[in-house]
Amino acid sequence: MTEPTFDAIFEDLIDANAELQSFLAILDALLPEASMLMVSESGAVLDGARPLAVALPVREKMARDARGTDGFITGKADNGTRCHAISLAKFSAVLIISCTASPEDDWEPGSAIAALLRNTLELALYRQEREMLVADHEQSVRQISILQQQHGKLIEDNYRQYRLNQDREKEYARKLESEIAKQTAELREANVRLEEISRLKSDFLANMSHELRTPMNAIIGFSELLSETPLAEEQLEYARTITQSATSLLTLINDILDLAKIEAGKLELEHLPFDLAEVIDNVVAMFKIPAREKGVVVASTIDNRIPKRIIGDCNRLRQILINLAGNAMKFTEQGGVDIEVAYERSAAGRIVSRFSVRDSGIGIPADRVEAIFEKFTQADGSTTRKYGGTGLGLAICLQLVELMGGHLAVASEEGKGSTFSFVIPLEEAPAEIISLQERKEACREKTGGGGKILLVEDNAVNQRLASILITREGYEVEVASDGTEALEHLRHQAFDLVLMDVQMPNMDGMEATRRIRAIEADPALRQDYVGLRDLKQPLGIVGLTAHARKEDETACYESGMNGFLTKPIIKAKLTMILGEMMPGISSPKDNEPS
Amino acid sequence: MPSAKEILRKFTELKTLPHVAIKVTQLVNDDRSTMQDFEEIIKLDPVLVTRLLRLVNSPYFGLSQKVESISKAVVFAGMKQLRNLVAAEGLRGLFKGEDADFSAPKLWMHSATVAILSGMIAKRIFGKDGEDVFLAGIIHDIGLIVENQIAGEALREACKAYREGKGTLIECERNAIGADHAEVGYLLTKDWGLPQEVLGSIKSHHLAKQVKSVSSTASILQLAEFMAGKMQYWAIPGPIEPLPPELTEHVKEKMADYKIIIRDLPGEMVKAKELYESDE
Repeated sequence: MTEPTFDAIFEDLIDANAELQSFLAILDALLPEASMLMVSESGAVLDGARPLAVALPVREKMARDARGTDGFITGKADNGTRCHAISLAKFSAVLIISCTASPEDDWEPGSAIAALLRNTLELALYRQEREMLVADHEQSVRQISILQQQHGKLIEDNYRQYRLNQDREKEYARKLESEIAKQTAELREANVRLEEISRLKSDFLANMSHELRTPMNAIIGFSELLSETPLAEEQLEYARTITQSATSLLTLINDILDLAKIEAGKLELEHLPFDLAEVIDNVVAMFKIPAREKGVVVASTIDNRIPKRIIGDCNRLRQILINLAGNAMKFTEQGGVDIEVAYERSAAGRIVSRFSVRDSGIGIPADRVEAIFEKFTQADGSTTRKYGGTGLGLAICLQLVELMGGHLAVASEEGKGSTFSFVIPLEEAPAEIISLQERKEACREKTGGGGKILLVEDNAVNQRLASILITREGYEVEVASDGTEALEHLRHQAFDLVLMDVQMPNMDGMEATRRIRAIEADPALRQDYVGLRDLKQPLGIVGLTAHARKEDETACYESGMNGFLTKPIIKAKLTMILGEMMPGISSPKDNEPS
Repeated sequence: MPSAKEILRKFTELKTLPHVAIKVTQLVNDDRSTMQDFEEIIKLDPVLVTRLLRLVNSPYFGLSQKVESISKAVVFAGMKQLRNLVAAEGLRGLFKGEDADFSAPKLWMHSATVAILSGMIAKRIFGKDGEDVFLAGIIHDIGLIVENQIAGEALREACKAYREGKGTLIECERNAIGADHAEVGYLLTKDWGLPQEVLGSIKSHHLAKQVKSVSSTASILQLAEFMAGKMQYWAIPGPIEPLPPELTEHVKEKMADYKIIIRDLPGEMVKAKELYESDE
């Protein structure tokens, strides 16, 4: 493509003479005393501001001559003055000029006036070119200003984007936070739901265990009774097997119940004084016979810096130690089991003591140590088959120890034995409080004194079992099958004690107890009840319930009972509570009707 | 005879701008967009990345340092420049095939020349940002590409009639095809999210009168169209239609300016060749 020119493109709007005219104007301004005209390439004549009249033939000749030379051609204007013509190559035109200021001067090439005019012409040409340069400059200025604008915009943009990015970052951070908050809330909710489910399961388990305990009551009681009847050797063995199996089943049920209670957060520790040495001795005594049979030694030591009588839950402590010692015994074939209570330190008025149960048994592989505390787990699956047990014991111990403020730990070496230990703070019991054990012992002395007991129980099997047990203890027994019947009995007869089942149809034990206490408090009503009218102190009422929870016991006391016995009825416990509550020989019979 | 809309209905190749171009156009129109957003889009198209880097490093930008990262190139190019690059990249492929009556590659060169000239006029004479008029220049004749594909024979008839002086190109198109490329081009591009000024200028670039002020995109495009035609950067030979008188007057006033622009055009074309030249 050919290099395009302005003239080629805008040919239509190009006025060929416009440029000449503008040049003439510039020159006019530069030479105010000169008059001039221009002859274009095509022969057109353009006049300056001060017209110069030159006859056509003269003008044409001058122009022709001027085109043929570099210098000036001199001629005569119409008015007789001299005029000079010069070719302007740039415009392909000829300029004819008459300068009145120097009419006589020499216009030869090299003369001063010729040089002056040439310079003037150059100047005029430059002036015209300058127009282009100015336009060029202006374009550059505009472009620079655009660049500046763009630069400014870039900086502005940058700042804007910086702020946008900051905003976005904040937005993300906020989103992230709210997302985390949302998820945390969801997790929390899920957790609450899971806890609720877990609690419901524990409740169910606890209830289930109670349901199981009721028939156990009958099985254990009657198998014990059966063993005491005249039996052939073989029959006696069967009866004992039933007792043993039922007892171990009861232990299992109790374990499950304990665990359920612990997990439901319903297990509360007692806070009563007891003799630590006695508890330890009890545990040792329990294992004397099996130890002798296996040929291992069971021994115990207690640091003498530990007080004899302490405050706590002796039953739970005993349970822990029995469990640990039972485990130790189970896995020990030779050597022995040591139970030790060691003094660690004294802190805040408490004696921090370490309980340990050491055995020389098979030990636990290092990689199974963690697992043995899990529910239903033993060191390895096969031990269950070989040694028996539910695997619940340690899980219960672990939780009980934690409730007591300690931590159950185990150190073990395979083949050499294990040591289970825990450190708990012990509180010394104030000297004046008489221990429960002592009270029990005191009571025991007065057993078998005779008396009449009202048994309120709806279940026929339990009625029979309890009746037999009570009769064996040497007391008379009357049976009522619900609260209404019990009140009826009291209307006609006097009793030394009421054994009151809690859950019964028609009127339950709690309601019956409340009614009895109400009658006792009303002198008029009281007169209608033979069994109540002459009592000098409230009638002894012992609650019987399969619900062994603390709150069940509390509810019993709140309804007005003054004793509490869990079912299944264990003979020893019944003996104890009867001994405690029945007016024995050795105690004054001040509550007997006179 | 088909209307412009019917012609468009048959045109399948470019109903919308390519995806990348649409995204970039949207980003240009969104004042909450950032250069990072542009970068994310450009990155998706390796050809575009190469183009962008070459463009930023070309004499067109005249940077003293070599730019090697996309993010830097995006910042240097600026949003509208990016949009133009992406649009040129998207459209270039359509300008293919030539014969005696109609040459698509020549039309592309014409479009590029009009774009560059428009940019120069906007910047150098009116002192305003030349990116929108550049875009108008690149796409103003897209209607011819549509007609070429849908009504090739009729277009050739129109070209022939025009060459033989049987009327303006627009008139000849209307006679032979039933629509003209300015209208078709406008209808095709009106949903592309381009500035209204650009769309209007596509519609009016063959009008014999001035539509808006001299410094408007439409007027600049008309002027550039005329100049490019005169310079033989034109795909369809035939009599060049005269400039509207207002624009002629304007050129007369700014003669020196236009002389400079015409003088500098070849240099600018070389500098900007990354914007329009094909790799093939």
